[in-house]
Amino acid sequence: MSTHTEDTNQDKIILGDQEILKSDLLTLNMGPQHPATHGVLRVEIKTDSEIVVEAIPHLGYLHRCFEKHAENLDYRGIIPFVDRMDYLAAMSMEWGYALTVEKMLGTEVPKRAEYIRILIAELQRIASHLVYFGTYGIDMGAFTAFLYCFQDREQILRLFEEMSGARMLYNYVWIGGVWNDVTDDQLKRISAFCDTFEPELKKYDTLVGQNKIFIERTANVGILTREQAFDYGATGPVLRGSGVNWDLRKNRTYGLYDKFEFNVPVGSGEKGTVGDCWDRYYVRIQEMFESVKIIRQVLAGIEAGPVMGKVPKIIKVPAGEIYMRTECPRGELGYHLISDGGKTPYRLKVKSSCFTHVSLLPAIAPGLMIADLVATIGSIDIVLGEVDR
Amino acid sequence: MHNQIAEFLNKNIPACKAVVNAPVAVVGDQSITIEASTLLAVCQALKTSPEFEMNVLQVITGTDYPERIELSYILASFSRNLELILKANLPRGDKLNLPKIDSVVSVWSAANFQERETYDMIGVEFVGHPDPRRILCPYDWDGHPLRKDYVVQEKYLDMVVNPPEKNNTYDQMFGKHLKEELGDPKRVSASWKDRSAGTEAETEAKDGE
Repeated sequence: MSTHTEDTNQDKIILGDQEILKSDLLTLNMGPQHPATHGVLRVEIKTDSEIVVEAIPHLGYLHRCFEKHAENLDYRGIIPFVDRMDYLAAMSMEWGYALTVEKMLGTEVPKRAEYIRILIAELQRIASHLVYFGTYGIDMGAFTAFLYCFQDREQILRLFEEMSGARMLYNYVWIGGVWNDVTDDQLKRISAFCDTFEPELKKYDTLVGQNKIFIERTANVGILTREQAFDYGATGPVLRGSGVNWDLRKNRTYGLYDKFEFNVPVGSGEKGTVGDCWDRYYVRIQEMFESVKIIRQVLAGIEAGPVMGKVPKIIKVPAGEIYMRTECPRGELGYHLISDGGKTPYRLKVKSSCFTHVSLLPAIAPGLMIADLVATIGSIDIVLGEVDR
Repeated sequence: MHNQIAEFLNKNIPACKAVVNAPVAVVGDQSITIEASTLLAVCQALKTSPEFEMNVLQVITGTDYPERIELSYILASFSRNLELILKANLPRGDKLNLPKIDSVVSVWSAANFQERETYDMIGVEFVGHPDPRRILCPYDWDGHPLRKDYVVQEKYLDMVVNPPEKNNTYDQMFGKHLKEELGDPKRVSASWKDRSAGTEAETEAKDGE
């Protein structure tokens, strides 16, 4: 009996020592002004020394309530607002919106306009992924990638500027077609760009992506399993990085995508586990090669013709609703349009993939080092304009 | 497909009273409306059914109608390639007595942020939500912006919201001035097309050069 009490006393002393040694969790605020959050995202991190215990994202620093604006604008006037959601992939945002309204109106889009839309959407995908690649390099401490990527992106932006008059916020895809035709000279230059870009991209990948330090920083970090990806509704490269073969361009095809041949790259856990940061990186790199493939097929198939279909002067969408989604560089973008037959939408809800991907952070972050959290936020590639809308 | 789902739901959960809504016009999507109180059971049944496997919750849209608030849960099955708009109607309630519905976070984790956004924007309380805060507006904001009768609060933390000196009156003055000058308001919007008025003056100017 006596030995037992001694034991408990001993335990108490040890417990007391631990109590003294026990340290509190440290709360760190990452953002809203922080280069690694890619915009105005604030992540409240609770850390135990270097290990993240909890990460709570705080959103809304860029909230403009686009959906309320949309209820007070006519259907054509919404397009410039749509641009300002994902400002790094404005063409894809416009196309999704134009498709939604065209589906409701029953507008037939001329073939040349369909070709041009695919052309610019794929160029935009390359431009957007290049920004991801460059800034991700900076997150990992490799500055070189950024300079290379922005050189190539600049060529795409210059082409877009010639076509639409703006570098980032285009207002180019209109309901019924596109605003302006492309010239043969521009098509030739796009073709030349494809020829130079492909070997360049291979070079960047061997320079940065296959680099030992880069692999050490990204492989086996921020793993998102297949089940988690479905549970949190992840889409786009994040979902494909987790090993799911799902691409709207193939599975629920729109535009002329069913005419073209391309592969859907899927994460395979080549350097680590399936669904880690490196897989998401590699899926995006492969996607750029596939985009080049699609662009070449577009250039081979494009025909002369009008670029604007017949659209009534005042657009009145028939009463009803539609949910239309398209594959944007960062994931699926869905527009839920509810109309009461008037000149303005009754309700326009945007399903933003970035918003869903931010909700992944509290699930992936616990157990990561702080530096790895930076790698994870970079790898899900969010644009805060689309998160906050 | 919608009829099959409605049949399946009515068989398994008789209380849900699933009804297929045909599109009003010829275009657009169909949807299924259910009783709001059975939402959680319906979502669980749709997710676990081997026939439909609705494994992804894409988005929750709240719409404010004069009489009711309509929640649209847009579900998808990435394994069966299906898509479904599931609807539930709630009373509008008032500021102190927001409408309530069961949270589906236990079925899909994606519902966490979506429900927070719906609460923030439309003002629907989700019973059983693990973290019922606002998400896009500041945490102490007043009102729900996407309600049709929403009025912006005048002061927030002693700051004036929409101060008159920041109101861009120049645009309004410019439009008013143009209308007065041209007399015909239609010419303002399409003035770039109608060049006939300006051509004579232009040619004269060119001749002068």
